[in-house]
Amino acid sequence: MFVANGVEHHMQVLGEGPLVVMLHGLLVDNMASWYFTAAPEVARDHRVLLYDLRGHGRSERVPSGYKVAELAGDLEVIIAEDQAGCASSSGAGPVDLVGHSYGALVALHYALEHPGLVRRLVLVEAPLPPSSLAEMSALAGTSPEALLAKLPAGMQAGFLAGNRRARRLVESLGFLLAESSLVADLKSEEDLPDAALRGLQVPVLAVYGRDSSCRGVGERLEREIPDCTRVELDGGHYLPLDQPFELARIIRGFLDG
Amino acid sequence: MTDTLKILAGMLQEVIGDDWDLDTEITAATSFSDDLELESIEFVALAEKLQERFGTETDFVGWLSSKELDEIIGLKVGDVVEFIDSRS
Repeated sequence: MFVANGVEHHMQVLGEGPLVVMLHGLLVDNMASWYFTAAPEVARDHRVLLYDLRGHGRSERVPSGYKVAELAGDLEVIIAEDQAGCASSSGAGPVDLVGHSYGALVALHYALEHPGLVRRLVLVEAPLPPSSLAEMSALAGTSPEALLAKLPAGMQAGFLAGNRRARRLVESLGFLLAESSLVADLKSEEDLPDAALRGLQVPVLAVYGRDSSCRGVGERLEREIPDCTRVELDGGHYLPLDQPFELARIIRGFLDG
Repeated sequence: MTDTLKILAGMLQEVIGDDWDLDTEITAATSFSDDLELESIEFVALAEKLQERFGTETDFVGWLSSKELDEIIGLKVGDVVEFIDSRS
């Protein structure tokens, strides 16, 4: 476990090479959605660092700090520590960031705050702003059970197939929804002005699902970010699960380019 | 119980933690998903322990990455024991 900003973070590192950090989304997600999909592929020629966001997976459950800027603060510490610990100079230098959903917003924030520290950015289903994603705007006052009922059927089957998994998920969602600032932090997230997007210097790959409620954000990113490639895949918001192989291939191709 | 099976059972108990049912008996036929109801994030933690313990002889994570998630979910304890023992 790695402590960043006083919070214990569960972390895994795969492979060797230039650093890529992969971030997952909020609530039902954790590093497993990258660990069992694109991470091993990218790890063939990269050092892939995966971690569970605070409050998620096996990281410490904390009541606050879920704003994009705050999560980017955790990412900042994690990257800085990893770079400091790199024995060879080939490990240091600008990093590649890959984020899904809210994780993509965190990666984007970090890239805007630290020009020169990011080499390439992959934004998978970035909901900018969070209210652009239909599922997010319905969160306030939602119970864990109601939230789970809104997930795509395939995901529900995975969670609810066993009693233990369902119980643990409901418990963790219950904490995040009712005992943490997550919903309030999400609601307070503002959009980024076009000027900020136009100032992004790094190459960006924006991937969206054709059935996603926020696919229109992809069109905006492509238009405003100077060097942005947009790809649409069959699927919805949970692309790492809908298109694990295609997404892995596209991400690896972009990072190797 | 073979050594590898014993080691794996011990790791599972660590990963599952407080949820561990003391009546649980781990055999080669025990399924990670159906019997133990392991979450995928717990599988990650297990993979880390296995890589630390057996990683010099076996690329456990590489073996996992060659499988689709459905296949991983269908794995039995015996499958992992067999893989590790075949490499050592």
